[in-house]
Amino acid sequence: MSAFELIVPATAEEAVAALRAAAGDGVAALAGGTDLLLDLEDGRVTARRVVSLRRLPWRTLDWNGPTLTIGSTLPLRRLELDPEVRAGFPGLYDAVRAVGGPALRHRATVGGNLGRSAPASDLVPVLLTLDAEVELIGAHGSRGVALDRFLVGSRRTTLAAGELIRAVRLPERRPSAYLWQRVRPSNDISQIAVATAYSPTRRTWHVAIGGVAPRPVLVPEAAGALGGGRPTDDAVRRAREAVRRHAPVTADKRGSEEYRRHLAGVLLDRAVATTLARFA
Amino acid sequence: MSAVRRPDADLKLAGQATYGTDLDAPGMLWAALVLAPGPRGRLRSVDLSAARALPGVVAVGASDVPALAGRGERDAERPLFADAQVVYPNQPLAAVAAPTLERARAAVRAVRVDLAAEPAVTDLEAIFPEWPGSGAASSPHVAAHVHARRGDVDAAFGSADRVVRETYRTASVHQVALEPHACLAEADGTTWRVRTSTQSPFGVREDLSSLLGVPESSIVVDGTWVGGGFGGKGASFLEPYALLLARASGRPVKLALTYREEFLLGRTTLPSVIRLDTAVAGGRIAARRVRLLLDVGTSLPGRDFATGYSIGFLLGPYQTPAFEVEGYAVRTNKPAFGPHRAPFAPQCAFALESHLEEVAHQVGADPGQFRADHLWVEGGTTAMGQPVAGFGIPAALAQARATAARWRAEAPAGHGVGIGLGFWSTGAGAGGETRVVLSERGLTILEGEREIGSGSVVVGLAAVAAERTGLPRERVHVEYGDTARAPFDSGVYGSRTVAALGGAVDEACRSLLATLAQRLGATVPVRLEVDAEQLVAVAGSSHRPVSELLTPEELRAGGLSADGKHYGRSGAIDESIVLDGTFYAFTDFSGAVHVAEVAVDVETGGVTVVRYAAFQDVGRTVDRASAHAQVEGAVVMGLGTALTEEAIWRDDGRLANPGLLDYRIPTLTEVPPIEVTFVEGYPGAGPSGAKGIGEPPIIPVPATIAAAVRAASGAHVTDLPLTGERVARALKRG
Repeated sequence: MSAFELIVPATAEEAVAALRAAAGDGVAALAGGTDLLLDLEDGRVTARRVVSLRRLPWRTLDWNGPTLTIGSTLPLRRLELDPEVRAGFPGLYDAVRAVGGPALRHRATVGGNLGRSAPASDLVPVLLTLDAEVELIGAHGSRGVALDRFLVGSRRTTLAAGELIRAVRLPERRPSAYLWQRVRPSNDISQIAVATAYSPTRRTWHVAIGGVAPRPVLVPEAAGALGGGRPTDDAVRRAREAVRRHAPVTADKRGSEEYRRHLAGVLLDRAVATTLARFA
Repeated sequence: MSAVRRPDADLKLAGQATYGTDLDAPGMLWAALVLAPGPRGRLRSVDLSAARALPGVVAVGASDVPALAGRGERDAERPLFADAQVVYPNQPLAAVAAPTLERARAAVRAVRVDLAAEPAVTDLEAIFPEWPGSGAASSPHVAAHVHARRGDVDAAFGSADRVVRETYRTASVHQVALEPHACLAEADGTTWRVRTSTQSPFGVREDLSSLLGVPESSIVVDGTWVGGGFGGKGASFLEPYALLLARASGRPVKLALTYREEFLLGRTTLPSVIRLDTAVAGGRIAARRVRLLLDVGTSLPGRDFATGYSIGFLLGPYQTPAFEVEGYAVRTNKPAFGPHRAPFAPQCAFALESHLEEVAHQVGADPGQFRADHLWVEGGTTAMGQPVAGFGIPAALAQARATAARWRAEAPAGHGVGIGLGFWSTGAGAGGETRVVLSERGLTILEGEREIGSGSVVVGLAAVAAERTGLPRERVHVEYGDTARAPFDSGVYGSRTVAALGGAVDEACRSLLATLAQRLGATVPVRLEVDAEQLVAVAGSSHRPVSELLTPEELRAGGLSADGKHYGRSGAIDESIVLDGTFYAFTDFSGAVHVAEVAVDVETGGVTVVRYAAFQDVGRTVDRASAHAQVEGAVVMGLGTALTEEAIWRDDGRLANPGLLDYRIPTLTEVPPIEVTFVEGYPGAGPSGAKGIGEPPIIPVPATIAAAVRAASGAHVTDLPLTGERVARALKRG
């Protein structure tokens, strides 16, 4: 790890100013640090300045009717332990539990997870099925971006220089589920992960897949096959086939393409069943 | 279970034990290695000038060695730095030292390396797509060839009721000691002095002598506390680089690997292909053909031990009237093969035991009964003609089968119960010496060996001395000395510490007691006791304080000392069966039988280990808590070999997973409840019949898990590790 200057602003304005001042000079925003510090240590990220977000008042969880706004620096452990989050977004609870162990979840944050755009993120697939919107703050104020548009690729987002993620907004509670397969069941990166959610107001299914490079993606073909409402066995079979065929799966050191496509189908089946079991 | 408090516990819990990575000295420089940028190629140049131009940086390359180490003869086959040719990925090319670690790393980056890359040879089966033909033994790819035959194998296969032919493949596994390799070197005057985290200070001294070309008498090696060895800290590794830099700079130099470098440079167990053919007649094994291709990386020709030793484990502790075994140690562009807790035996046991399951399955026999029917018998001979004595495996198997039967009756659908057997021989043949000193306060054992974490030194040796003398354990201390002061010993490896070095401690204690008996004028054995805080020698009805039995000179010198040594016996095989190469006899007969219950997800292939039981032939338990911990730890480590651990070498010769993210050791979540049972009464080579405990309990684990997976799902997996993908593929194959 190379030496860097650590800046700890107290307000969003100061944080944005610090990021802008250092732009072009190698700067990184630090939330929980569970991902960034590894990359700094190994030299995959070089930053002369690191702006810590720990003093910003963003460790929040706000409900507004059916809408949940999660502050970007809220530790995942807080989401995990919140009974209303678990009841309203059970798939998000599954995904949070998939991240490391409790100690790591005390540090890791939602904003860090999205901002770092890791291909193997456990949160992104579920947040995609929940139609998450990312609230960004910069020198010229705030803007909201759909998560699917915010993420570009591995370690790439549409975050502009000097911009920060302030929060993530989930428009409505949805029965949902998140399942994954790993070489080692715990503390590993998923070979494949499947998230499913059902929107009771729009009567639509949402399917996303993770553990595929370069970023988790929605699989609308699979969601479409499930139709609206409670799917028939035949619809589930077609969805399973669709996810196997359309998911952008490739081979890597975590598994062959054939096996991962097979897993995608198996996990979709199970995720739909789990989601159905969670219908109110 | 009553546990004795470990004497090193407080020190370690308080963070006061100095490990290799903790070493520090005033004015110390930090070192780093310059590693080859490719796995193989012609080295045109290594330009250190830009590195040397950095302030305070010292750099050493191949051409600097003679000026620093003198004109003594160095081992030409093991150059410290690649000179003309790079033969494995990340081979050291130079070493640098600087006042800070950051600057040392900057210096590494400043080194200009010109390597004309050549394609790496990494895949055993690409070298020998078919079994090596005649003349392959002299191929440059072959480091060793072993071949033996007994009986008329062709006839036995020709007249067999059934022949089962199978091929198994095993993966490269790493030791994953918590503490990386680390040392601190000083070179003053004519002395080369190094403190290092090692399993063998005397082994390092011997290695350094041949690597640097300086006499052993000018080298002093001092061990530190060791944060896990598992075979990876046996030979010299970083010490010569640190010493050369210390000589070049005139300063103390510390060299420690990063964890990534541990994976890149580590001497590990490398992949293998194992072919087993068994001929069965009348429900019994009539003959076996064993063919082994073992990847030994850049191991040197003629120095391969693994092949000739391992191949015996592919016959296993089973009666095999006729057999032919042939093995090739195959050189590839990987780091040298290195020992990993019971080197290569878990892989052999996996192949053999899984094969026996298949044979039993095909002949319609119960796998447990089939094993029991073929085990060697006490007083008989091994397949290779060595007398069998102190063989506890049959008793362990009987107990394991009873547990397996009970678990099977209780197991829900989707679960399966399997048995696996592992045979081992303690490394009690290697020699060692010790000195014990009796003062009026207690007994001190002087050791060059350091405790590597297992407890074999701080608990095991102390327990042997306490048993022999009658002293309570807290009156026995281990004192460490460097190689200039402590008596010679081979090292803490091969499960030999209690079994072999313990024998030396036992002998030294007997000698001490004999001297006391003489001074007491006793005709019956002397014991030591503590009476009102005073050490007393007791023989029958006579007793005297130790302080009165020691001479004034002895009291001034710290006590009465006595020496012991153990240069272990070794058995012999029937040499008439050997056609080529070297085979090794067993020094004693150890082993374990394990039982596992697993659940298999038949759609994903995922395996969950539900519960586990180990039945360990230990000869005699010296310290129950330590022995128990060794079995538990070995089972956990074996679960990694069985299920998830695999160094993935890419076709271009690079390691795809040099870190703990993708090289997956079990975490606590994957560890099932483990029941441990000791089988006693079958004596080994150690004090009062003790056998080594460090290695044997890892051996049956992959075999046991494979048998349980098969019982649960029908998947017969022939490759290690048993990842979900491999299990799913085997299920699909049906």
